[in-house]
Amino acid sequence: MSTHTAAHGSHEGQDINYLNHQKGLWSWLTSVDHKRIGILYLLSITLFFILGGIAALFMRTELAFAGPTLKFLTPQMYNVLFTLHGAVMIFIFVVPGIPATMGNFLLPLMIGAKDVAFPRLNLFSYYIYLAGALLALFAVFWGVIEARSLEGALDTGWTFYAPYSIDSGTSVTLMAGAAFVLGFSSILTGLNFVVTIHKLRAPGMTWGRLPVFVWATYATAVIQTLATPVIGITLALLMMERIFGVGIFNADMGGDPVLFQHFFWFYSHPVVYIMVLPAFGVVAEIIPVFSRKPIFGYRAVCYATLAIAFIGFTVWAHHMLVAGISDTSAIFFSIITFAVAIPTAIKVFNWVSTMYRGSISFDTPMLYAMAFVFLFMIAGTTGIYLATLAIDVFYHDTYFVVAHFHYTIQGGAVIGLIAALHFWFPKMSGKMYNETVAKFAFALVFIGFNLTFLPQFGLGMMGMPRRYYDYPIEFETLHTWSTVGAFLNGFGYTFALVNLAYSALFGKVKASSNPYNSLSLEWQTKSPPIHENFEEIPVITEWTYGYGKPLPNTHH
Amino acid sequence: MFRFLPEQASEHAAEMDWIHHWVTDISVFFTVAIVGAMLYFAVKYRKRGGVDHETPRIEGSHFLELVWTIVPTIICIFVAWEGVRIFKDIRKVPADALTLYATGSQWKWDFEYDTGKKTTNNFVLPVNKPVKIVITSQDVLHSFFLPSMRVKVDAVKGLYNYVTFKPIKTGDYRLFCTEYCGKDHSAMLGTLSIVSENEYTRWVNDKSEKQTSPIERGKLLYVEKACKSCHTLDGTRGLGPSWLKLYGKTGKFVDGASYTADENYLRESILKPNVHLVEGYSPAMPSFEGQLSESDLAGLLAYIKSIDGTGPKTAPAATTAQQPAVDLTKLSPAERGKLIYEKGKGAGAPCLACHSLDGSKLVGPTYKGLYGKEGKWADGQTYTATDDYIKESILNPAAHVAEGFAPAMPPYQGILNDDDIKDVIEFIKTVK
Repeated sequence: MSTHTAAHGSHEGQDINYLNHQKGLWSWLTSVDHKRIGILYLLSITLFFILGGIAALFMRTELAFAGPTLKFLTPQMYNVLFTLHGAVMIFIFVVPGIPATMGNFLLPLMIGAKDVAFPRLNLFSYYIYLAGALLALFAVFWGVIEARSLEGALDTGWTFYAPYSIDSGTSVTLMAGAAFVLGFSSILTGLNFVVTIHKLRAPGMTWGRLPVFVWATYATAVIQTLATPVIGITLALLMMERIFGVGIFNADMGGDPVLFQHFFWFYSHPVVYIMVLPAFGVVAEIIPVFSRKPIFGYRAVCYATLAIAFIGFTVWAHHMLVAGISDTSAIFFSIITFAVAIPTAIKVFNWVSTMYRGSISFDTPMLYAMAFVFLFMIAGTTGIYLATLAIDVFYHDTYFVVAHFHYTIQGGAVIGLIAALHFWFPKMSGKMYNETVAKFAFALVFIGFNLTFLPQFGLGMMGMPRRYYDYPIEFETLHTWSTVGAFLNGFGYTFALVNLAYSALFGKVKASSNPYNSLSLEWQTKSPPIHENFEEIPVITEWTYGYGKPLPNTHH
Repeated sequence: MFRFLPEQASEHAAEMDWIHHWVTDISVFFTVAIVGAMLYFAVKYRKRGGVDHETPRIEGSHFLELVWTIVPTIICIFVAWEGVRIFKDIRKVPADALTLYATGSQWKWDFEYDTGKKTTNNFVLPVNKPVKIVITSQDVLHSFFLPSMRVKVDAVKGLYNYVTFKPIKTGDYRLFCTEYCGKDHSAMLGTLSIVSENEYTRWVNDKSEKQTSPIERGKLLYVEKACKSCHTLDGTRGLGPSWLKLYGKTGKFVDGASYTADENYLRESILKPNVHLVEGYSPAMPSFEGQLSESDLAGLLAYIKSIDGTGPKTAPAATTAQQPAVDLTKLSPAERGKLIYEKGKGAGAPCLACHSLDGSKLVGPTYKGLYGKEGKWADGQTYTATDDYIKESILNPAAHVAEGFAPAMPPYQGILNDDDIKDVIEFIKTVK
């Protein structure tokens, strides 16, 4: 590993770092420093995570009991809530999620670069993101003002399916415009990362030595660059459909509503991997450090990442197996979907094997990483049901899909992000968080999450359709449990976030540069890092995961 | 473990549930094994006394990577195969299946039976008889889900989808809409009652008000819309393919692609006839887009399906009885001509099937500005559209075919007399 940087820890001016080398709001808003931009993204997406979460809690409250539960909430308002929950969580929170926050912060540090390849473009991406997010908020307010009720906000579901989205009187055009704008932020970030990884690796940081998180970010960036334009075109067509009536998705004018679904999922399936691949990367960073073992099967893990990204482009129509595509296409897309299961399984086996004969400590990040493995096993195996053609006929558009999706995205991407925030918190803030509160929050999140979504698998098995404001009485018990779980889950996230925020702002315990004794490059510079990341360009001489006593046959 | 699926009320439910339960068991096994291994490692290899013990630098194992690539691959192939096999089974429509039509709209399901019985949201089927439900939508997307029958398909405007199953237990079963469709999506519920054959027969024939069956409706349209001028019922070749045993037939388009004459093919052929042309036929058929309602289309399909060689093969006569009696002598010649143009006469199809009034080119030339026009025949000779020319064109259309048109028109010799023809010519003169 790097030999130079750690030795220079105690220079004069050691308290100068990226957080305090320039002061004032303006210095933050105009900073092209990847670390500061990562923090800006983090604050922004957290705000939207809270908004999306509040919408979810209102939904769960309404669903707690059969019949109308909240007096003021009409069926149409419920439709608006699940739409906003989905649209905000997907487009404004999870898609930027780990890549824009942790990716921005860590990528240059992990490869030994001073910044990303195009620092100003990076800041521009953030402002495009901000513009898109504000436009989305404006769309909501505009809809509400026009209808003088929450009912006018946006009611198409986050999927914007035509022809409903063409006819809906809510602020679909503006919201589609917001998602369109957000897409550009994603494309530019992806492009920036691809170039950074290709061109800015420090001397000796070969592809075979890159941390798995960098591989995951690379695969993600490629998907962002290639898939996002398709959703841009799709949403642009939807806007044109609404404004000019071009007719491409309108059966009355010879258009095809199913075509919208093809376009939509051509992006929105790969986007699932934009969300979870970075989380896979996070887990692959955490488990080796807390097991004091190299990641098991490094090459297999990296190739599996690329394989998932690639195959992810070819399976989109498994979201449409009962949508009226031909039986032949349904068979084709079902079989291809199974091909994604295999590299995913390989990853899980490798994570668990990494712990074999390790020296395992249970700091909060490790707890989240282990929870991730458990949750992702459920997400993955329930994915097998949905890929199986005969079973999907029953499960499509039921709560089974809702539960599967949340195990993948919340259990995967969100737990991955929370794990990453705890793991790299000392590096980002220069402080340590309160471990007891963090573990308590973890317990709440883990129990709450499972209590929310395990009953939803049961609901799906019983045939409960998704996106229902109300339901027949036989579904009530499981819904009630799910609501209890949702609140526990919400409290858990609140504790976790408040703990981190409080520790960052008012915490007294300073973090050392490498509190976990990690071998990865980002831990070989100060906590928090200086503005330029490293005092000298590091020279890498070893593999990132050289933990433990070398065996006779060690080849790295 | 985890056997929460609803009652198995259709024949294929047991088979579907078999693969479902198999996936459940294998999933539980692997989850317990992998998470169990993780927890076992976590306990066994935990850091003790706050000090790391020495760990071996194990970087991987080619053997293990192979094992956990090959084993999941084999399992996936098996599950995918079984999923496809069972899916094919449950999509196969038995020959003796009862057909009914379901149309979703915000926020209800409308059903129509062969007998003309119509019902909304709640519908009835006989036990132990296979059924095919042809599903479409009048507005946004809906999805037709009968959990106990283990069937689901989306209802899409402009497209026919279907589900097929054989109910094996009497009782009432839930029908859900599972594709989000707006405000009252969660209230778009229905009930399927499975009853004995006798009870079903009584129910389906009990019509509170007079309703025409889809087949009767299709039969009327066959005459009214002049399908019969080009499509025979006895298998002989007209300008277009005969409808005898047309449903389910396979063939080739001019571009070489093959087709099966199913509901969606017929729908496209009626609404957009020239998109896919059947080999050996010319693009002569006018589009009926905008002229037929969903219920008209369902009627035509039902009628086409009924021409399976068991019924009469002669074309039904125009139902003149239904037309209001008009005292023809009180009308002007041009008005009488217009009547023939619109309604036809006797066994003769109405002219409007092939001749427009607005200048657009259908199978035949438009009447707009036709009278007195000069043009060329297919053999290069010029003509002027005088009384004699028009008369000959009506009585013996094949004698001279105008350039750019197919010899598609049937002769009206013996159908229209001289007075009728004068009336038609007077009418044509008025279309300028």
